[in-house]
Amino acid sequence: MCDDCNVRKRVLIVDDHQPFRAIARELLEDAGYIVAGEAADAGEALAAVAADAPDAVLLDVQLPDRDGFAVATALAAVDGPAVVLISSREADDYGKRIAACGARGFIPKSKLSAAAFAALLE
Amino acid sequence: MTSAAITASPRRGVLRDPVLLLPVAVAAGLAIGWLGVHEGVPGARVAADLALSWALVAASVVMLERPRWRRASWLLAATAFALLGADLEWASSHALWTLGFVIEGLWAAFLVQLVLTFPEGRPWSRAARIAIVCAYAVTFGGQLVGAFVVPDGRDALSVAPHASFAHTVDRAQEISGVAVALVVLFLVVQRLRALRGPARRAQAPLLMAAAVSVPTGVVWLGWAIANDAGTSTLGTIDRAVAVSLPLGVVAGIVWSRLRRPEASELVVELRTEAAAGMRERLARALGDPTLEVAYRLGDGRFVDATGRPIELPQGADRAVTAVTAGGEEVAALVHDPALLDEPALVESVRATAGLVLENERLAAEVRSQLAEVRASRGRIVAAADAERRRIERNLHDGAQQRLVTVSVALGLEASRADTAASDVLSRAQDEVEQAIAELRELARGIHPTLLRDEGLEAAVEALARRTPLPVTVSGTTRDRLEDPVELAAYFVVSEALTNVVKHASASEALVLLEREPDALRVTVTDDGVGGASVTADSGLAGLRDRLEALDATIVIESEPRQGTTVCAEIPCGS
Repeated sequence: MCDDCNVRKRVLIVDDHQPFRAIARELLEDAGYIVAGEAADAGEALAAVAADAPDAVLLDVQLPDRDGFAVATALAAVDGPAVVLISSREADDYGKRIAACGARGFIPKSKLSAAAFAALLE
Repeated sequence: MTSAAITASPRRGVLRDPVLLLPVAVAAGLAIGWLGVHEGVPGARVAADLALSWALVAASVVMLERPRWRRASWLLAATAFALLGADLEWASSHALWTLGFVIEGLWAAFLVQLVLTFPEGRPWSRAARIAIVCAYAVTFGGQLVGAFVVPDGRDALSVAPHASFAHTVDRAQEISGVAVALVVLFLVVQRLRALRGPARRAQAPLLMAAAVSVPTGVVWLGWAIANDAGTSTLGTIDRAVAVSLPLGVVAGIVWSRLRRPEASELVVELRTEAAAGMRERLARALGDPTLEVAYRLGDGRFVDATGRPIELPQGADRAVTAVTAGGEEVAALVHDPALLDEPALVESVRATAGLVLENERLAAEVRSQLAEVRASRGRIVAAADAERRRIERNLHDGAQQRLVTVSVALGLEASRADTAASDVLSRAQDEVEQAIAELRELARGIHPTLLRDEGLEAAVEALARRTPLPVTVSGTTRDRLEDPVELAAYFVVSEALTNVVKHASASEALVLLEREPDALRVTVTDDGVGGASVTADSGLAGLRDRLEALDATIVIESEPRQGTTVCAEIPCGS
């Protein structure tokens, strides 16, 4: 876990459901991550990445403006931060798009834990 | 619509009906004949003039059968009187001689106008209009100028008699006459080549007569110019040539009439045979290959034999004739307007076709209603799909989203709490996760998002992975297909795999997607116990509306102990 890391990782949380963002923040902070910021849609997310340069992005697939795949693809194209996709759907509901978008991996929201997040970032 | 033109009776009246010209023409002819004999004109010449004039008037009366040829009919009668008028030159009276001299060539101009405006009375083109004007200028204008200079004692208009100038006027007239004749010939040949169908049948004889008589006239004129011949010889020859024109008109009408036996054969044919190929038979009977049959539905719309809606044409390039049965309009014949020249033919076909077309109309109406029902079923299925998509989205964005947050919160608290509390919280989280899983399964059954986002292949592969026995997916749909087609195929696979799991006791299943040029074929095979049948409450029976709306077929083969094969074929564009 990141308690062992030399530098604590800075994470951006992207989700349009505020209560979920709040829980995710607690969960990540408990595990020693620094939450660099929160964003409610794709536009905010890209702006926040540009402004805060986080080490990782916890990115919901379903966003009001563009979907998480588009954001992940855009970030991968500029060699941006590591992206972990989350969704209240399962990986199976997205077919090959998860593998194709350049994200580190996918966690169903209900299975979200600091351990699962850290495993994908390694 | 021009259908009224057929049923409207020709207007009657002294000035409207050239029939009344017959006694006038006979009387005028007799008077001129008497004049000729009295003045010592050769009997053959007198007889030729009378024969031609009377033939022209008779032809003009025959032409009355064609309502649209009325103007041509008048021109033919005018030609006859102009010919008789020219014979006033036989008179010793100076006034009559001069009148005869001035109108001597008018009959030729009338014939040029007749030919170049045939049959509807309007010049065919701008060139034709110019040729007509030139014909009048050459014949009437030329004679008028000649009247002032011709050195003839009987000429009442002779103001400056000048023999050589009069001769020059004559020659100028003849040369320009040849030019006009050549233009007329060119226009006639052009028209003959362009004519098709019933118009050709009715107009070709006159045009062919013109195509023969015009060059003959040109040759004679050329001969006259070369040999400086007298005008009276020339006049006789020209008249003999011109007689071919009224013959042409009559030939056209007779030729058209010869079509009628086919129309009466149609009566027998139509009453004894099924109505299939109705359009072809009517087209043959009317001699119009472009004929279309439009069936009138109860609500006033028109459809073709397959029940597809069609609009009746409004323009002048097509004519519409209503067909009635028992006083009700059952159909409309859309045809070449030239058929309006043969009202008797159209009428006989119309009277015959009514009853048979009524049967055809009923069939077309049923087909139209079927198409309507299918379209409406398609709309209902599409509306239901849109609603399912909305419900799926609401479940996902609402309840599922909140439950997920609760689950993550419970997990977080479990990790923070002491052992006893953590155990309770973990069990609560398990329950919530179970609820989320059930909700997700429900949402997926309502509407598969993966299908919309990724297409049929990906969605079927996901179905296969979730099915609790080995399922192999092969084949391809090549491209994305229309939503209703993809949804129907998806639900067929989904229901078939559900049945395999529930009833087949199979060890594996195969899903095959095949793209035909105009259909998608989906086959689901298992190696289970077989003996399956589609009962009213089975999931596959529930897909009936969805499949029938797309004209799709589904076949189930399920012999006992030989597994089950479900094969659906769904039409789709290439």
